[in-house]
Amino acid sequence: MTDKQVLGLCRDADTTARAVEALEKKGFSGNEYEILTAIPYPEGTFGEKPGKHRLYIFPFIGALCGFSAALLLTIGTQLFPPLVTGGKPILSIPPMILIMFEGTMLGAILFTVIGVIFESRLFGPKLGLYDRRITEGFIGLLITASPERITEAEQIMAGAGIADFKHSLTGGNNK
Amino acid sequence: MPDDTTPTKTEYSSALAPTHIQPMNKAGKWFWLAIVLLAIVFSMGVGGFIWRWQSGWDDRPAWGYYAATFSFLLSTAQTAPLISAGLRLVAGPWRRPLARPAELFAFVGILNMLWFIPLLKVVPDTQHRRSIWFDSPISFQIWETIALAILISCGLCLLYLASMPDIAAKVSKAPGKQGFPVPLGLSWRGNPHQWRILKLGLVVLGAGYIIFLTFQQTIFASDFGLSLVPGWKDALFPAYHIVSSLQAGTALLTVSLFLLRQWGGLKDYIGLDTFKGLGRLLLVLTLLWFYFWWSSFIVFWYGRRPEEQLLLQLFVSGPIRPLFTLVLILNFVLPFLLLLWSPIRKSIAGPVIVSVFILSGTLLDRIRLFTTAFSVTESGEVIKNLPPTRLPDTADIFILMGGLAGMALTYLVATRLLPVLSYWEITQGKILESEKQFGLRKVRMVAKPD
Repeated sequence: MTDKQVLGLCRDADTTARAVEALEKKGFSGNEYEILTAIPYPEGTFGEKPGKHRLYIFPFIGALCGFSAALLLTIGTQLFPPLVTGGKPILSIPPMILIMFEGTMLGAILFTVIGVIFESRLFGPKLGLYDRRITEGFIGLLITASPERITEAEQIMAGAGIADFKHSLTGGNNK
Repeated sequence: MPDDTTPTKTEYSSALAPTHIQPMNKAGKWFWLAIVLLAIVFSMGVGGFIWRWQSGWDDRPAWGYYAATFSFLLSTAQTAPLISAGLRLVAGPWRRPLARPAELFAFVGILNMLWFIPLLKVVPDTQHRRSIWFDSPISFQIWETIALAILISCGLCLLYLASMPDIAAKVSKAPGKQGFPVPLGLSWRGNPHQWRILKLGLVVLGAGYIIFLTFQQTIFASDFGLSLVPGWKDALFPAYHIVSSLQAGTALLTVSLFLLRQWGGLKDYIGLDTFKGLGRLLLVLTLLWFYFWWSSFIVFWYGRRPEEQLLLQLFVSGPIRPLFTLVLILNFVLPFLLLLWSPIRKSIAGPVIVSVFILSGTLLDRIRLFTTAFSVTESGEVIKNLPPTRLPDTADIFILMGGLAGMALTYLVATRLLPVLSYWEITQGKILESEKQFGLRKVRMVAKPD
C-alpha cells in the first residue's frame, strides 16, 4: 500500500518534543517521522535519536586517493623517460612532496564535498510535503506511514498541541 | 493574497522573524551606480594589461606592479574566507554576522585565477634559480596553477554549502514554489541529520581551506618573490607573507562589514560585538606582523655580509626606504598605537579606520616586495648590483586600479547571487542567547551546545 504523509506545524520546540515523545510511545520509529527546521537546533532538542553517518571517512579516503595518484604521477613522469639533471637522483623528493600534498588536499576536499552531498541525501527527486512557514521559524513534523497510521499520528500530534496540519493527498493548507 | 492561517510577524519570536530574507533582495540605484563605476575602472585595468602585454613577456621588471596587484588580491580577498573558517573552528559567537561576508570573497578567486595566468609567462623556469622545486624538470607553472585552482574550488564549495540553507529558504519563499526547496539541484530539507552533516562538513572544508591557503601562499611567495632574487635566503619570508595576509584579510573584512552595515541595510544584523572581536584580532595580527618582519630582518641586519647588506638596501634601506617607512607606519605603528586603546578598539569606527591603514600599508608592501623582486634580472649565487627602482607608469596605475576595482566588482556581483548574510547562523545564535539579571546588572548568556 502507498504511504501517505502528514505535516504538523509547531511554533516551538517544546510542543515538537512532546509530539515526538508521544509518537515514539505509540510505536512510531525514527524512519517514520522527520523534523524540518530552518535553523539547526542543538542535537537532541526534540528527543530525536542521532543518526549514524560516515562523513569522517570521506576526507581520509579522498586524501589517500589523492596521495596515491600524485605519487604515481610524480614517479611516473620522472621515470619515463628518466632524465638525469646535473647528476642528481632521478626522483626528486622535495618537489614530489609539494605535488603529493596538493594531490592529498585535492582528494580530501573533493571527497568531503561528495561526503556532505551523499550523507545528507542531497541528491534525488524525493520531494514531499513542505510548508514555507518552516523557513519563517515554524518547526515541521513530517510523518510518512500507511493511511491508517497517518490518522493515528495526526491524533497523537493534535494531542501534543499541534493544531496545524497539511496532508499529502488532500492538499491541506498548501502555501 | 495572504492566507488567513499564515501567522503575522508578531506571532513569531523576534529571533525567527520572517524579515530575515528581505535585505538580500534589495539593490538601490547607488548599488548599480557603484557597479557601473567599478566596471569602468576595471576595464581601464584590462586596458592597462593589454598595453603592458604589447611590450611583451620578456621585460620582467615591467610586470612588477601586475604581480604586486595579484599578491594583494591573494593576500586580502583570498584570505578573508579563512577568517570565517578559523572562527567557525573555535566557535566564537561574534563571528556569525561575518561568516557569509567573509566567505563571499571566495568568489573573487575567479578573478584571481584569470589574473594569475599571465604571470606564469613572465617568471623564468625554476631550473636555473634556487627554488623549492630543487632544479626538478617538473613544471612549476602547472602545479602553481593547480594549487590556486584547488584553493579557489575549496573556497567556492565552502561558500556554496554554507549558503545552501539560506538559498533553500529564499527559493521556497518565491511565489508559486511548493514542495521542498531545491537550490541548484540539491534538495535541502533541513532535518537534524542534514544540519549535523552540514556543520561537520563546513568545519572540515574550513580546515582544508586554512591548510591549503598557507601552502599556496608559501609556494607563491617562494616562486614569485624569493627565488627571483639571487642570494635572498629567507625561510621566514613565506610565513611573513601569510601573517601579513591574515592581517590584511581581516582588515578587508572589517571594512566590508562596515560598508554592508552602513549602505547595505544590515545595521540590525552586524553589531558592535563583531567589530570588537575584529579589533582584538587586528591587534594580535599587528603584533604578529611586526614579530615576523623583525625576525626576518634581524638575520640580514646582524649578518652584514656584503650580499646581505645589498639585500637590505634592495628591500629596506636603499631607494625604497620611503615606501618601507610608510609600510611600517601603516601596518604596525599606527594600528598598534590606535588599537592599544580600549575605547578605540571597542568601537565600530576604530577598527574600520585602522583597517584602512592596514589595507593601504599592505598594498604598498606588496608593491615594495614584488616590484623589487621582479626588477632583479641578474642570475648567479648572490646579487651584485642594485637594480633601478621602478616607478609606476600609466599602464601600472591602470593595472593597480583595475585590480582593486575588479575585486570590489566581483564581490558586489557575488552579493546579488547569494544571500549576503548567513541568516541560519545568525538566527541560531539569537535563539541560543538570553539576558539574565546578575546582581544589579543584566548579563548576556550564550549557550554553546556543540
